[in-house]
Amino acid sequence: MRHSIARLRRRLRALTRRPALEREMDDEMRFHVEMEAAELIRAGIPAAEAWRRARVAFGGVERFKEEARDARIGRALEELVADVRYALRGLRRSPGFALTAILTLALGIGATSAVFSAISAVLLAPLPYPTPERLVRIYEQNSPTNRWTISNADWQAIKEQQRSFESVALLEPGGAALSTGGQAEWVRVGRVTSGFFRTLGVQLVRGGGFQDGDDVLGAPPRVIVSQDFWERYFGVGDPIGRTLMLDRVSYTVVGVLPRGVSEYAGMEAGVWPILQLPTPSRRGPFGFVGIGRLRDGVTLDAAARDLAGISERIFPLWASGFQDRTARLTPYSLHEVIVGDASRPLTVLAIAVGLVLLIAIANVANLMLVRATGRRREIAVRSALGARRSRLARLLLTESLVLGGLGGVVGLAVAVLGLRALSVVGPELPRLHEASLDLRAVVFTAMAALVSGAIVGIYPLAFGMSRSLGSDMRSGERGSGTARSAQLFQGALVAAEFALALPLLLAAGLLLHSFAKLQRVDPGFEARNLLTSHISRPATADSEPATVLRFWDDARRRVREVPGVVEAGLATSLPPDNYGETNNFDLLEKPVPPGGAEPVAPWSWVTPELFAALGVPLVEGRLFDEADDADAPPVVLVSHAWARRYFPGESAIGKRMYVGGCRECVPSTVVGVVGDVKYEGLAGSGEAVYESVLQAPQSSLYLVVRTAVAPSSVVSPIRERLRSLDPDVPVRDLTTMEERLATSIANPRRLTWLLGAFAAAAVVLAALGVFGVMSYVVAQQRKEIGVRIALGADRAAVVGMVVRRGMIRATAGLALGVLVSLQGMPVLQAVLFEVSATDAATVVATSLLLLAVALAACWLPGRRAARIQPMEALNIE
Amino acid sequence: MADRADLLQGTLDLLVLKSLVLAPLHGWAISKRIRQLSSDVLQVNQGSLYPALYRLEDRGWISAEWGVSPEGRRVKFYTLTPDGRRQFAAEQASWRLFAAAVDQVLLAT
Repeated sequence: MRHSIARLRRRLRALTRRPALEREMDDEMRFHVEMEAAELIRAGIPAAEAWRRARVAFGGVERFKEEARDARIGRALEELVADVRYALRGLRRSPGFALTAILTLALGIGATSAVFSAISAVLLAPLPYPTPERLVRIYEQNSPTNRWTISNADWQAIKEQQRSFESVALLEPGGAALSTGGQAEWVRVGRVTSGFFRTLGVQLVRGGGFQDGDDVLGAPPRVIVSQDFWERYFGVGDPIGRTLMLDRVSYTVVGVLPRGVSEYAGMEAGVWPILQLPTPSRRGPFGFVGIGRLRDGVTLDAAARDLAGISERIFPLWASGFQDRTARLTPYSLHEVIVGDASRPLTVLAIAVGLVLLIAIANVANLMLVRATGRRREIAVRSALGARRSRLARLLLTESLVLGGLGGVVGLAVAVLGLRALSVVGPELPRLHEASLDLRAVVFTAMAALVSGAIVGIYPLAFGMSRSLGSDMRSGERGSGTARSAQLFQGALVAAEFALALPLLLAAGLLLHSFAKLQRVDPGFEARNLLTSHISRPATADSEPATVLRFWDDARRRVREVPGVVEAGLATSLPPDNYGETNNFDLLEKPVPPGGAEPVAPWSWVTPELFAALGVPLVEGRLFDEADDADAPPVVLVSHAWARRYFPGESAIGKRMYVGGCRECVPSTVVGVVGDVKYEGLAGSGEAVYESVLQAPQSSLYLVVRTAVAPSSVVSPIRERLRSLDPDVPVRDLTTMEERLATSIANPRRLTWLLGAFAAAAVVLAALGVFGVMSYVVAQQRKEIGVRIALGADRAAVVGMVVRRGMIRATAGLALGVLVSLQGMPVLQAVLFEVSATDAATVVATSLLLLAVALAACWLPGRRAARIQPMEALNIE
Repeated sequence: MADRADLLQGTLDLLVLKSLVLAPLHGWAISKRIRQLSSDVLQVNQGSLYPALYRLEDRGWISAEWGVSPEGRRVKFYTLTPDGRRQFAAEQASWRLFAAAVDQVLLAT
């Protein structure tokens, strides 16, 4: 033990006092030579000769010092520092090579790190609440693919009967008119029961929050606001105890949420009023978000059984209005719900950047190989001067690790920019705003840099140094050309680059193809000269149906009178993405068996003018008219797609249905079939059912305005007209339909662009790879080519030879890439629209494109080869 | 017949330890001593002497200390440590076994 401590101290001393030790070693060896010489002189040998002999006997001082140093431990670190210095010096000497290699690696590493950060924040990071794994969201579900929100009746039953949760809460996402002195502004609000923030585990920065009983109907209305929300509308100051008006009701602020957070349980809002619900009178309507925190030790499965039991028990209570016995209250991990579909585009992105990184590594490995071959002579000289082979190998490996490290450092900068770019141009992802280059991402970047450096360094080690070094020194650096193994290897690297680039280009091509199809989808109306908006009627204003209808009629007429407006209609849903509500129905002619799930369709309540304003054609039957009011028998219009699905080959007119599971209600009759409108995204079906607003008054509606002039020119007049109707009416989202269509396909477009950019980078790298290798080959064989030309070889044949050699490699890579792509491309299917992931036309087109790029990249060095002047080439050496 | 012999691989450590059994010596004296003790037959390749010395020092078998030579020069003296003494005994025993065995083979008729 004592001994090893002494040894440790010696080693530390060796490290810290290196110059001193170095001097001692010098002294000791010089003394040795002096003594030897002195003895020879004593033996009668002339001084000069004696000194010479002493030195010869000792050998090269430096060489033995090197060996003596070898024997000392602790030198490993010393050598590392020396190697790194040497590597940096070497890189400085060839800045072109260094810059290319570092930037290429930085691009690959940086892009990978950016996507890693996004994945880390979106998919991997737990939700920002204490013990987030215990948080669940409760859905109604009647098949593995069909789940929906819960109802007031469900909530009352869960609250009273559940045994699996520490606490449960209910959230009703919505909006409200916020009065801000003189005018109303529509704001997003999350109405919540008193236990909502307690269930999530959110700490308020000020105020006591909601108390039990606050959510009982009739209790004084209270509200929790975020600091940011308060400052935006009411300025600085403590909000606690102050009041604010939502939908003309006064709420007292009892809690303040921390700054910078605007999203809770997946709902974005700055103001959270208390949710007070009456005793339910039927099972529906649905539309509430159920949140629960599992008791310690209770599994999701156990909670699912608990909730299923509740569903079973309450079914008979509401069976008259809700027939679906298969519907079950089902808990899902809240994290899973919020992350949702984000994993698909992220998987695609992760694979894409992974491929780019691999291509970058292959490219730099190739550069290193070329460089190592060019440095064979230098290495041979070093070897002759006494450097051992393992030492040289370490030197070269250090150089590539230094390259990797520098690539990683620059890559970090690329990652920061990339992450910012991803949130601007990338597909919209939940929680992406939480992504940052945190410690985990930095560690990831460091690992990526290290691994890249190691891979880049191993190739030249394996192929550049395996041969006798002595022969290199004799042969010089040009004459013998590249070793056959190294040549083969370069070929393989080039092939690999093309094999990796093809899937990327193909994916980009498929997304482009899919995007083009999406753009060509007929939304079901003419989008030009169409202005849209959303209008709410303050909730507690006189809610007599006649008053409500008068309000809407008045609003519509005022808009209609604005010069330039051709027609104006109102509806509860708006294409292409706001399908509003869905409703279940039971066809009298084709009833659902008892206890089965009824079919569901997007449901829209409209004014009769909507179809003219939107420009939807009547296919069969009639539209609504003024006579279809509350006193008349209920009627519906259906879309062409709906009619085709439920009544194929026959007319849907006159068919009847129970709506919303209500068996006591008078069945509704289909009176007309209209053209298909895409309400569930452009990729969705065109199924829809319409009811007249006159038969079911609404509190908020979308306004659709057909104009004869540019829609933007009527925005202010419309806003003014509506304000004159009632200053407390919030008018929001006054946007043109063309904008809405563009937003609707923004995500696919962003993914397409992003993948296109990656593919472009991959193609450029692969082209540079084959260009670099062929240029190198031409430079190496200058003499040979010169001789051929001198002997009368056709210059075209020389070009052909170079191009052929390059193209063999590129084509081999392409073929391999196609094979790999056909296996892996189905990953992409989930984000494609009406395009097969192995679409033959796209595969052929991208392969040809890549082939053309390869041809160009080979032709340039070929042309240079053909221009070689024989005399010049022969005179070089 | 050669009057000088190259050192057998691995014997240098044994010879260095042996030369230090009696008294601490500096590097040059060690090489000289080995030459003398072997009647000029064993020629220590001086270039491998110092690496051997550093190696032995690192293993803790000898320790080094700066002192003044009989000629009045500042030199590094190497001393056998107790560990080194044990190591010498062990190496000596195994060498004898080895040498005797080789002899036996060579003398066999």
